[in-house]
Amino acid sequence: MVSIADLKQIAVCEWEIPVSYRQDMRVPVRLFASEELLQEVTRDKSLEQAVNATSLPGLVSPVLVMPDMHQGYGFPIGGVAATRYPEGVISPGGIGYDINCGVRLLASRLLHHEASPHLDDLATALNKFCPSGVGTGGRQRFTTREIEEVCRKGSLWARSAGFASEQDLRRTEQGGQISGADPRHISPRSLQRGSSQVGSLGAGNHFIEIDLVEEIFDAESARVMGLQEGYLALQIHCGSRGLGHQVCSDYVKRLQSAVDRYNIQLPDRELVCAPMDSPEGEAYLAAMACAANYAFANRQVLSHHAREAFESVLAGRVKNWELSLVYDVAHNIGKIETHTIDGTDLEVCVHRKGATRAFGPGAEDLPSEYKKIGQPVLVPGSMGTSSWVLHGTEVAMQRSLGSCCHGAGRVMSRSKAKKTIWGEDLKARLEKEGITIRAGSMAGLAEEAPAAYKDVDAVVDTVVQAGIAVPVARLKPLVVIKG
Amino acid sequence: MDVKTGGFEEVAHTADLEIKVWGQDLSSLFAASAEGMFHLSGIEDYEDGFSSIREEISLNAMDYEGLLILFLEELLYRLTEDYMLFDIDKLTISDNFSLKAKLRGTQIKSYQRDIKAVTYHRLNIQETDDGYSVNIVFDI
Repeated sequence: MVSIADLKQIAVCEWEIPVSYRQDMRVPVRLFASEELLQEVTRDKSLEQAVNATSLPGLVSPVLVMPDMHQGYGFPIGGVAATRYPEGVISPGGIGYDINCGVRLLASRLLHHEASPHLDDLATALNKFCPSGVGTGGRQRFTTREIEEVCRKGSLWARSAGFASEQDLRRTEQGGQISGADPRHISPRSLQRGSSQVGSLGAGNHFIEIDLVEEIFDAESARVMGLQEGYLALQIHCGSRGLGHQVCSDYVKRLQSAVDRYNIQLPDRELVCAPMDSPEGEAYLAAMACAANYAFANRQVLSHHAREAFESVLAGRVKNWELSLVYDVAHNIGKIETHTIDGTDLEVCVHRKGATRAFGPGAEDLPSEYKKIGQPVLVPGSMGTSSWVLHGTEVAMQRSLGSCCHGAGRVMSRSKAKKTIWGEDLKARLEKEGITIRAGSMAGLAEEAPAAYKDVDAVVDTVVQAGIAVPVARLKPLVVIKG
Repeated sequence: MDVKTGGFEEVAHTADLEIKVWGQDLSSLFAASAEGMFHLSGIEDYEDGFSSIREEISLNAMDYEGLLILFLEELLYRLTEDYMLFDIDKLTISDNFSLKAKLRGTQIKSYQRDIKAVTYHRLNIQETDDGYSVNIVFDI
């Protein structure tokens, strides 16, 4: 196990595990953490997993770990790694099974006091309009041909099907469509699993939340994003459902033999990878893009359903119930991006596994309104605690491959959470705090209890101190929908 | 072959789920792994026992760990897509990393937890004094 004594502080809230720590390290590990959070991250295997990730061929810079890091499988959650494109490797396990799991935030001009008599009805309507829960699919079943179209076009498909506006697309990472998606590289099982799940939330840590914009920290950025203190906002957290899980499973299996073929030695088989210019690497990139596009479309259809829910409850009763997209960002993905590394512009594949892109001002992919302030960074808290809206910085471009934390990060195992917390008690406690809960399973609710997570405020404070993001607004949950 | 001579227990994992599985031979190890996975899925509601539906599966892999993943993924796919739960009647594992299983299935009404995937993370089937053991991490 990596201990605090193995870490060297190199800047405020930034620590390094040097390559001398273990013989097979190709690059150092750099982690962003306050001294307080360091105590927590050395308790599980997340740093050991980050050290394992440094053995991937073609890495061009240190493997980074965000302060919400925790133990995963293969890569740690909160891990960011850049490999040289196209000769470096891509690792499906370094992206995760829920390809393009991500978050979107929608803003409203609806004041809290105007909405509060309707919050319970809104919770019921969201629960009805947005299918959620274990084994629950979307409201429509699609043909294989239609799912292939979803995979190729992502949010563009959603727009042509009447689920998205022009602004929705502009304010989605990469316009809601990753290029190079080719459904011929995903299995019939992936398509089969995807056919019934477009527009469904799933279960686990996925959620839909109505929030109150509680406090603004950067008035100009908040204005540009359409966020105002005292108004309601909505967050959606979910990914590519069974289609994405199947794509990752298929390729982790397929690449087991590729590592021998390309003579790649790895400390953990979950890290299997292939050079991006190999047939296997090219196939995975095309398949991953399919799943990522499916996830963009999924969150877009859910947004459409959430808008329907708002309309059904609020139209004719209050004004300004419309929801406009602030931003949609992926936190499990591999992206081909250009970064300046040691003074040279390099095309790299940035693996973000449980880490959010956080581009600074001027970045090419950003819509014009965000080019001045930097990309909105969405950091959802655990149920019952605050969520944060930040924006990316130039420092993030220089120090963290334009990346930031993606949430609070777990500290307690699911089994311990279930043993120590009763779902019914938790629901009662949260409702006493003024949070309306709709949950498919009380055991599932207990596993996701705030006590199972780190303090999101401490995580955000770390990235702010490190300079990789700037706080814009803090959100307080009012309604939580969980599968 | 007796496939009931193995067992499993849950091991703490920060975010996902991990089980430690043991069996006196590979067949019982594989059967206990399936049982552990179904336990984690939280299956409660069975219909009419394990007699109505009979199926056979044959799988091939490069090694036993790969074979275990294929086997569990197959059962997981049938669970999530078809709501089918299987009991293992007979399981034969050959030393060329192939598997033949005779299964008896039953339709389930629901399960409590989505397992996203069976991972290769630190997956290593080990010989012990009493047979075999393995730790399996499931992505949740």
